[in-house]
Amino acid sequence: MGITTLLRKGNMSYSRMNKLLTELVGSGLLLELNKEKISRYMISERGLQFLAAYYQFEDFAQSFGLRL
Amino acid sequence: MAGVDVSLIADVLQFIGVFVSFSIAYVSFRGLKQTRSPALLRLATAFLFLGVGFTVQAVVSPPFLEGVVSVLPALTTTVIAGLLVASALMETAGYFFLAFSHALDVMFSRRMQVSLLLLPVFTLSAAQTTDALSILSFYFILYGVVETFTAYSKNRKPDTLLIALGLALLGSGTFVAWLSLMYPLVYVLSLVQIIIREIGLMILFIPVIGYVLGGAKASGPI
Repeated sequence: MGITTLLRKGNMSYSRMNKLLTELVGSGLLLELNKEKISRYMISERGLQFLAAYYQFEDFAQSFGLRL
Repeated sequence: MAGVDVSLIADVLQFIGVFVSFSIAYVSFRGLKQTRSPALLRLATAFLFLGVGFTVQAVVSPPFLEGVVSVLPALTTTVIAGLLVASALMETAGYFFLAFSHALDVMFSRRMQVSLLLLPVFTLSAAQTTDALSILSFYFILYGVVETFTAYSKNRKPDTLLIALGLALLGSGTFVAWLSLMYPLVYVLSLVQIIIREIGLMILFIPVIGYVLGGAKASGPI
């Protein structure tokens, strides 16, 4: 997915999205693929694990009426 | 004889509460490790305090106390009374963290929420530390019940409703415990309060079962 699509879906400014993407790539949750000078982003295996854990514990916390 | 049987049953049930509290704390700590969520930290802290409080209460009560005193004869009445106060303090701290989590959730969500401002002003005996802590615990539980019901009205998750009911039962158990102090000759009241509290705690265990059945998918470090 390219940054334009992410900006549209995320509804945030370019600089904020860029900062977020740098952090996510840096922590290994996203993969940055450079093809034909265009950066595309893909969720990594580690990112998928994090999402699964996040949803699972979000469910757990919501049972107690709390949010992560 | 009937009184001794009741306290033994009550004590055994107390250990169920210990197991449930530490289980919830364990799952919350796992979630904290995976997601670094402050809400899970507060939840883990709350149930850790509750677990320790229930453990001390279970150990320093008649059936087990005889065994403890035989091993540690220096355990005087003062020390035992101190331990009972400490267990009440731990419980209050646990319920405080639970209520605090809800309060922070309300503050940061900027939603219009009804906050329980009433303080329970009735007490059964004056100037007893454990009674005062019990009142505080009741207040925090009540706040937790209100906020959990409010959360259910928004997310409509059956588990959230069950947790609210579980907390309500915990509060009811505290209330019946006060009644058992008022009517000490009615032995069944102390057993009833423990049973109500244990049912409440077992209901709180439901999300742990959900977590375990969900497979603990992200078991490795993130």
